Amino acid sequence: MTDPRFEFVNIDLAASEHIAAPQYSYWKSVFRKFFSSKVAIAMLVIMAFVVIMSIVHPFISGYSNLAMDDINNPSARFLSISLEHPFGTDDVGRDMFAACWAGTRTSLFVAVIATIITNVIGTVVGMFWGFSKKLDVFMIEVYNIVANIPFTLVAMVLMFALGQGVPQLIFALSCTSWVATAYFIRVQVMIIRDREYNMASKCLGTPTFRIITHNIFPYLISVIMTGVSRDIPSFISYEVFLSYIGVGLSEKDISLGRLIENGSAYMTSAPHLFVIPVFISALISVSLYIVGQTLADASDPRTHMI
Amino acid sequence: MKKYLFIRILKSIFSILVVVSIVIVMVYKLVPTTKMFGNDAGYQRLKGIDKKIYEYNQLERLGYLDYVTTTDMCSEVYGEDGLSACLAGENTQEAYKAFEDRGYTIEVINDVDEKGQPATATIGYRYYNPIELIANFYSKLIVIDNPWAVEDANNPDLERKYYIGQDQNGIPALMCSGCNYKYQIYFDGSFPFIHQNIIELDLGDSYPTRIGVSTVSIIYSGQGSQSPFMQTFPTGVERSSALMQHTCRYKANPDHMDTQLFTDNYASCDARYDAPSMVNTSLIMGFISLVLAYIIALPFGVAMARNKDKLVDKIGIVYINLLIAVPSLAVIFFLKYIGSFFTLPDRFPQLGFGDIRSYIMPIIILALISTPSLMMWARRYMVDQSNADYVKFARAKGLSQKEIYTKHILKNAIIPIVNGIPQSVVSCLSGALITETMFSIPGMGKLLPDSIKQLNINMVLTLTLLFTTLSVIAVICGDILITVVDPRIQLAAKGD
Repeated sequence: MTDPRFEFVNIDLAASEHIAAPQYSYWKSVFRKFFSSKVAIAMLVIMAFVVIMSIVHPFISGYSNLAMDDINNPSARFLSISLEHPFGTDDVGRDMFAACWAGTRTSLFVAVIATIITNVIGTVVGMFWGFSKKLDVFMIEVYNIVANIPFTLVAMVLMFALGQGVPQLIFALSCTSWVATAYFIRVQVMIIRDREYNMASKCLGTPTFRIITHNIFPYLISVIMTGVSRDIPSFISYEVFLSYIGVGLSEKDISLGRLIENGSAYMTSAPHLFVIPVFISALISVSLYIVGQTLADASDPRTHMI
Repeated sequence: MKKYLFIRILKSIFSILVVVSIVIVMVYKLVPTTKMFGNDAGYQRLKGIDKKIYEYNQLERLGYLDYVTTTDMCSEVYGEDGLSACLAGENTQEAYKAFEDRGYTIEVINDVDEKGQPATATIGYRYYNPIELIANFYSKLIVIDNPWAVEDANNPDLERKYYIGQDQNGIPALMCSGCNYKYQIYFDGSFPFIHQNIIELDLGDSYPTRIGVSTVSIIYSGQGSQSPFMQTFPTGVERSSALMQHTCRYKANPDHMDTQLFTDNYASCDARYDAPSMVNTSLIMGFISLVLAYIIALPFGVAMARNKDKLVDKIGIVYINLLIAVPSLAVIFFLKYIGSFFTLPDRFPQLGFGDIRSYIMPIIILALISTPSLMMWARRYMVDQSNADYVKFARAKGLSQKEIYTKHILKNAIIPIVNGIPQSVVSCLSGALITETMFSIPGMGKLLPDSIKQLNINMVLTLTLLFTTLSVIAVICGDILITVVDPRIQLAAKGD
């Protein structure tokens, strides 16, 4: 070792621990994956526009469904699309542009809150359901009861009993739907709870609660995201339907469903009253759905491999 | 297997009872009763005391409360002997007190009578508690006809017996004297050919629309106008009439017209109508659209699986996502709009029952809105199966792609698809709720939103029971069906 061409280097303990792999950050990968889809970006822009408009515009316009200032002014009714009224006016002279955004806000609010309730309760119950045999015996019977009844029937009868209104509607929509989510999560948990890494974790003495929160929950994120992206459009759809048949929201609340209901009477004489709310509801549903689905795909770590 | 089915049916009945019981309590306790009377024209004409008493009578008939007049209270406490004294004012307060102790609310109504004079009436009422509500509902649910059912003081010699007789067509039937219905079991040319009148469901009367008609008969009796046909009546008279003699019930006071036609008191018959009943309308449309949905969705789903990641698959995925994401109301309006180009009516009553064009759009729409999930699952199962070992083996044997898909994969993938049929039936019921409302089809699906809007509680309860029972039966049938399709599956060992 006297060869001058060689020299000693210091032993770097930290360097030997270093794994020669590219830097991996979960959320960075999720976003990279998400923004690689052009359709998703377009839909995200549409979604962001609709959401921001529905939040901001009602504050500017101060829209109230009960304020019918032009009700005695025939010249203000059924105006077609113009610069002053971008979406025209309705049968009592209210500005449809303001009404649409206020309605979108209510519909989105109902759908988002119902989705959050459904998925939070569904996921928590589902994860424990997948682990506990005792809970399983009980919950499977609850599921059998709930799954056998058409959801539309449940929602309609609940609205009938509780009366019209936003809190009632949210309750009616999320009252039984969490059971289906919980069942879905239970099946997923049952599939992965006996995988090798969970067995190993169990052998090493990890408590069940920690296995659920640290080993299984991250795995479920993409599954939950898929559920969320399906729930929001379907709840908007139910809100629209329930309001359309007249059991959803009362006269003081405006929503997309109520706008469609009002507009359907003038389908031939003033089609914009009907077509615009239908179009907006389709637009937010489709954009939310596609953004959600892409996000669900992107949040699955298995798709992050290059 | 038998034991499993027995337990399964018991569980299903239990789940129906649970659901209906919850709905009963919610509907009776939460729906405001005041709005209900707003839809009753007869109530609007009344005033003063009569109005109040009518209200309590109606609430009692609907099963909300137990309503007692002063006469009821007096006769209950003092019996027949003390009744007149009690009514005259003696001990009346004690009678009220006795009822107040039983939980009744005694109300003194100071208002005007029908002539506008000030008047007073004292009544008592007690709202039922949830357990009583449920018990009352189920205790009167099933009515069994028997030879002692008719109680007619004017006809003490009425015979009480069953006998075999002949109906107007000369076909033997089990008949009864003293029962509510004359024909107990009879045969005729309409499905299911053998009919009975012994067991009947009593779910109360409709209110505030079609007051006094039982909810079951609203759903089951025909619609449209009466359709007379030539028939021979028991007296030998032959004439064209819409009366269906098989449905004749006991009538206490038959009039002149009745005695011309009937030899006995069984003269209150239902009429035949030219349009199907609400339940039949819904069932016909639901069944056809379900079959149509499978005819459309299965080949499409199979084609998507065969051409995975190719154009057909991509078009299919876009179609599935679009139908899931867009609100079904918007989809239906869009399809209705397309239908109007083919001169199809956008409302059912425009052309009515007689015209086939009335049915086309609702059935197509009902079928289309249930296709996306069917297609998605058909594709999923086919794709999953196509990687199985037996498929590789079949390919190694040199079978053509078509043979592999139709003869091997489809047979295995069809099992979960068959198991999904009950879910399609349930979603078809949901879909019918939307479609029938949109097309104003006089079926069960439209009846539910209508009765909700009119606060017709008995109708809502009837439909809840009916829809729940139908979907529970569908789920059981789906499970039995998979054991037929795949003999390897044993339901009894399914308990996981």
